[in-house]
Amino acid sequence: MLGAVCAIMLTFSNCQKDFYVYEIEDQTILPVNSQKIKPKSVPQYISILYTNFFQKAISPNSMLQAQQAIESIGDKQVAFDILLSKYMNDSRVILPSLESMQKDPEAFIRNTYRRFLVREPTEAELNWMLNYIKSRPNVTPEHFYFAFGTCNEHFHY
Amino acid sequence: MDRRKFIKKSALAAAGTIGVPYLLPSGLLFARQSSMKAQHVVFVQFAGGLRHQESVLQLYLSGSQTEKVEGNIMYNLLDGKPPEDKIAYGTDDKQNNIVGAFPINPILQTPLQRQGVLFPEVRFSKGGAGHFNGLSTGVSGNYYTTAGLRQRTASPTIFEYMRKHAGFKATDCWSIGQSIIGSRPLLNYSAHEDYGRRYGGNFIAPTITFGEPGQQHFMDFKNYHPDTDYGMIREVRGFLNKNFATQGLEIPHLYNTPEEENSIREFVRVTFEKVKEGRLTLPPVNDNGDLKTLGYAVEVLRWFKPKVSVVDLSAIDVCHGNFTGYLKNVHRADHGIAFLWKEIQSIPGMKDNTIMIVMPEHGRDLEPNSIKDLNDWVSFDHSGSPNARRMFTLMVGPGVDANLKVGSETNPVGDAADIVPTIADIFGLKDKVYSAGLLDGNARSLFDRM
Repeated sequence: MLGAVCAIMLTFSNCQKDFYVYEIEDQTILPVNSQKIKPKSVPQYISILYTNFFQKAISPNSMLQAQQAIESIGDKQVAFDILLSKYMNDSRVILPSLESMQKDPEAFIRNTYRRFLVREPTEAELNWMLNYIKSRPNVTPEHFYFAFGTCNEHFHY
Repeated sequence: MDRRKFIKKSALAAAGTIGVPYLLPSGLLFARQSSMKAQHVVFVQFAGGLRHQESVLQLYLSGSQTEKVEGNIMYNLLDGKPPEDKIAYGTDDKQNNIVGAFPINPILQTPLQRQGVLFPEVRFSKGGAGHFNGLSTGVSGNYYTTAGLRQRTASPTIFEYMRKHAGFKATDCWSIGQSIIGSRPLLNYSAHEDYGRRYGGNFIAPTITFGEPGQQHFMDFKNYHPDTDYGMIREVRGFLNKNFATQGLEIPHLYNTPEEENSIREFVRVTFEKVKEGRLTLPPVNDNGDLKTLGYAVEVLRWFKPKVSVVDLSAIDVCHGNFTGYLKNVHRADHGIAFLWKEIQSIPGMKDNTIMIVMPEHGRDLEPNSIKDLNDWVSFDHSGSPNARRMFTLMVGPGVDANLKVGSETNPVGDAADIVPTIADIFGLKDKVYSAGLLDGNARSLFDRM
């Protein structure tokens, strides 16, 4: 009798299925640029800006003077705009060609995001930029580079 | 005149005086009070530490050296005869190698003291007599007994009060710095959480912007079309910023409108052209940084016609080790301020509609340090000594009494913190600024001290 009970118990215990409950931990969804929370110092910003436009490092003396020039104007957006406008008038500045942008706008947008914002664009951003290129026949890589170089995200890390 | 016409004319006159109420950036409704005294104020901080002995007391060398020569070396500002001996404050006689031999010709026929009100005994009543304490007190109406360098004022500046409570634009407010040394670039807005950058004034240190640094990094900047090129740049940048702005992080701009940004850029471009072509409006003698700054200040006034401008000087601080240089720079500051006042009277809209206030940021010690200069004259520092707290305030313009002196050595009248409530009073906003409760307890409008 005892043996029969044990056999039945063993049989049922062997047949019992294991139940696994898979849970997902709560995740906070943040925008892709959310890691950038600190402003760059003016020397950091100038250094990165210069490198992005000239593909070489700015000299220490030039950096010091650029820093002083920026400090002499209170509105830093205006000051950065003037500085970059000055760079844009320099024949040594390196920009993608209009043809390359028009030939493969998606690659241009992705590369521009990587260069200035060190990330990929979201689908929404990519679509907005592609539509912008399509709808503005006069827009050039220079306009994009200027906007990216002087946007708030580029000033933060 | 019949009754109906009289009422109509009276109503029009009242409307013209009071102005139409409008919404402020703060969301409050503001109707400018009827007591507006002028539409523009220029506040010159005669900074660098000015001793009373060489200014208001007109003691020239007798208040500092063993030479018993008295006289007024600020004859554009103050009423009094210049020294007749030991002239060392003018321009150099290079032929005979005599430093400061030729006094600079007066610019004003009538000294400002006779055109306005002089408070000859004003006090820097609290804290250390340091340059940035003084400059900060001048623009914010409060004292900073513990503030260090490179710190913004804790209390709002006059620019913030005016932008927040009177709806002034950013380009209505200019802080014009003699340099970018120390806290000067930080005098355009405070760290106060209810005011701050959102209501800040514009700042420029023109000898840097248009000097070597600016010539290397700003001059001949590309002239983008403000509508087409900048329009597209702003659209793309606006999209990028919109995606980032939710986190409240931005390039520290001053909320200039796109039109104001265009105007500032154009001002910089045009001024560079003037620099290159030698067409700047500079004082007749312009051989130091103060005088060049005052020349550029005139360019700022001509271009923007700001409602509130603050200009700070600095060259007299050589007094730490060069008394002769100090005398020369005091004389030059007088020359430059007179030039500024004269030029203001040639600017349409500002002429006869501007009140100018002149005040040192603090004084200097009575006792010398151990440094002697080329004339064997002793030098002076500035500490918290009573003499370093002695200063004056001079005010001139429409609605300001002429040839009036208020206070004396035995009855000092005025405080270094008075300028903010005074400017607020000029714009009919005194009560609003007082009620913010952020001024020093001693601060009062100079109009209430007369």
